[in-house]
Amino acid sequence: MTKKLAFWIFLAGTISSSALFLWLTLDTHRQVEVLANVDKLSERVVAGKRVFEKYNCNDCHTILGFGGYYAPDLTKVIRRIGEGGVQLIVKMPDKTFAGSRRKMPNQGLSDEEIGRLIAFFTWIGNIDNGDWPPQDSATRLSRKERRIVASTALSPGAAVFKAQGCMHCHALQKRGGTAGPPLDGIARRRSPKEIMHSVVNHADVDQDAAMKPRKDLSGTEVEAVTLFLANLK
Amino acid sequence: MEYRSQKIAHWYFKIALLLFVLQVIVGLWLAVNYSFTVPQWIVDKFSFATARAIHTNLLVLWMLLGFMGGTYYIVPEETGSEIFSPKLAWIQLVALVATGVVALIGFVFGWTQGRPLLEIPRPLDLVIVIGALIFLFNVGMTMIKAKKWTAIQGTLLGGMLFLALLYLFGIPFYKNAVIDWYYWWWVIHLWVEGAWELVTAAILAFVLIKLTGVERQVVEKWLYVELGLFLFTGIVGTGHHYYWIGAPSYWLWFGGIFSALEPLPILLMMIDTMMHVKQRKLKIKNPLTWTIAIGCAVLHMIGAGVLGFMHTLPQINYYTHGSQVTVSHGHLAFFGAYALLNLLIFYFAVPQLKGIKVYDDRRGKIGFWTMSTAMTLMAITFGIAGVIQAYVERVLGMGYMTAQSYMQLWFAVTLVLGVIFFIGLLFTVADLFTMRPAKAQK
Repeated sequence: MTKKLAFWIFLAGTISSSALFLWLTLDTHRQVEVLANVDKLSERVVAGKRVFEKYNCNDCHTILGFGGYYAPDLTKVIRRIGEGGVQLIVKMPDKTFAGSRRKMPNQGLSDEEIGRLIAFFTWIGNIDNGDWPPQDSATRLSRKERRIVASTALSPGAAVFKAQGCMHCHALQKRGGTAGPPLDGIARRRSPKEIMHSVVNHADVDQDAAMKPRKDLSGTEVEAVTLFLANLK
Repeated sequence: MEYRSQKIAHWYFKIALLLFVLQVIVGLWLAVNYSFTVPQWIVDKFSFATARAIHTNLLVLWMLLGFMGGTYYIVPEETGSEIFSPKLAWIQLVALVATGVVALIGFVFGWTQGRPLLEIPRPLDLVIVIGALIFLFNVGMTMIKAKKWTAIQGTLLGGMLFLALLYLFGIPFYKNAVIDWYYWWWVIHLWVEGAWELVTAAILAFVLIKLTGVERQVVEKWLYVELGLFLFTGIVGTGHHYYWIGAPSYWLWFGGIFSALEPLPILLMMIDTMMHVKQRKLKIKNPLTWTIAIGCAVLHMIGAGVLGFMHTLPQINYYTHGSQVTVSHGHLAFFGAYALLNLLIFYFAVPQLKGIKVYDDRRGKIGFWTMSTAMTLMAITFGIAGVIQAYVERVLGMGYMTAQSYMQLWFAVTLVLGVIFFIGLLFTVADLFTMRPAKAQK
């Protein structure tokens, strides 16, 4: 091989790859319109992106898998913990993670800023991105989720407990959140009736508690989850 | 040293080394964050995010300063003339370092663009662009005035120009996060798997010619083939970052296939480095410089080539994307390919700048072997943590923190390795700052 031939290899390699790449870039621009629901990319979503950048969230969290690896991925955060979950954590990370080995800074976001952030996360979560990340996939159930589905028939209450996000705040057997008290053996301290009241509207039982009323639960769901908790003795 | 203006390179090297030390100190703090619970009041004032921004920006800053210093050292010898304007080289150095310092302090007070690795606020980006333009003008004018072109200097200038152009794509605010990440990778990926590889290939080729005495025609011929392969695989290979961002699914094919080929040029580079060393025509004067050259080629191959390849295929990447597996690859690739490349040009140039023919390499050896061993082991511990994360969090579907708790042991080992790395680094830096001639041997 001569140096001249080597030079031509260099030119051919570079030009062919660049041309292909630029062409794919153009096509990607076209297709992203649909894949990322650009029609739903409102000013509020953009404002949310600015909030996300202002507080440098991305150097601890990943989003679409990019960023710091120090905290959970936020791509499908709304699907995972709901708007309420985001609200609670961003508003008072110090309390939410009081028992956690990793902390999140309390950067004093206003409610308006948190609202924008939620709009941004909601839009991100609806991007058609090949069903990533696997742990939040709606179609590929993880082994844990498959176990829950299998146990639904055995304990509908446990399924409601899991599905309604109770474990974001409450722990059972040290698994779950720390914002609320752990519920191990709750039936030894509370009657079934008290438990039911606590589930539906906690303010009836304890005015200072942070837990929001859960009027969205159906009668069957309340019954099932009460039965489940009332058996934790 | 043949030309007076090469002296400026020494200052670039010194500052780069100091920033390297600072980068590793902040890195240790990050490792502490993983291993211990940092109290809320510290987290509120100085979060992991801020420290990470400092760690990564220091990396980019010191490596770029090293590359630029290296270029200022190499170009006079390649063109056979003094640098067009040493004064401009000074102004550029001051501008870039000042911007860096302001940016780092700004991060602590929350002044940030808020995008990973590109945290430097937009007004400061402007100063960086001006600094880069001064550099390109200065180097370009030197070449034009000398009217002498070699493949090596062409590659250096081309690589730096490509690098500067790509930086522009990271400056605007993109409303659409998908498009934002799409162009974010034009900076990050096309830097480290494109422009930086060009600079690396050129510097390595230059040092090899000088060290081995192998004919320029041969070295430059392989340089062209490597560049062709780097750019052919690397440009479309950017697609391996587009699997899960909401880009069309054909990127799974283009990204997968092209990036699977990305180790080829690195392999070629490793083989031809070894070949040139074998066919050397000059005596080995400073064995450590040779060791670093080979170490760079080998760890570049393992860190960037092998570890990168391992999780580049979409089927695997689905589970490892954005996990500690990425961290493992990132650390060894940057160290092997770019930190060692910088150390190579430092160890090649500093003795010449100081007029030392054969240098005392005892401390340098300790430094090189300690750092290389510690970083290789760190790639393994991060890798183990990453595999645990991929399995527990992504396959089993347990919570993020549950998965992290299983990785805890490996974070602790990483912290210890980090401290060992830091000790090796101190040896290296002390050695480069106070290099002495070796005592005459019989």
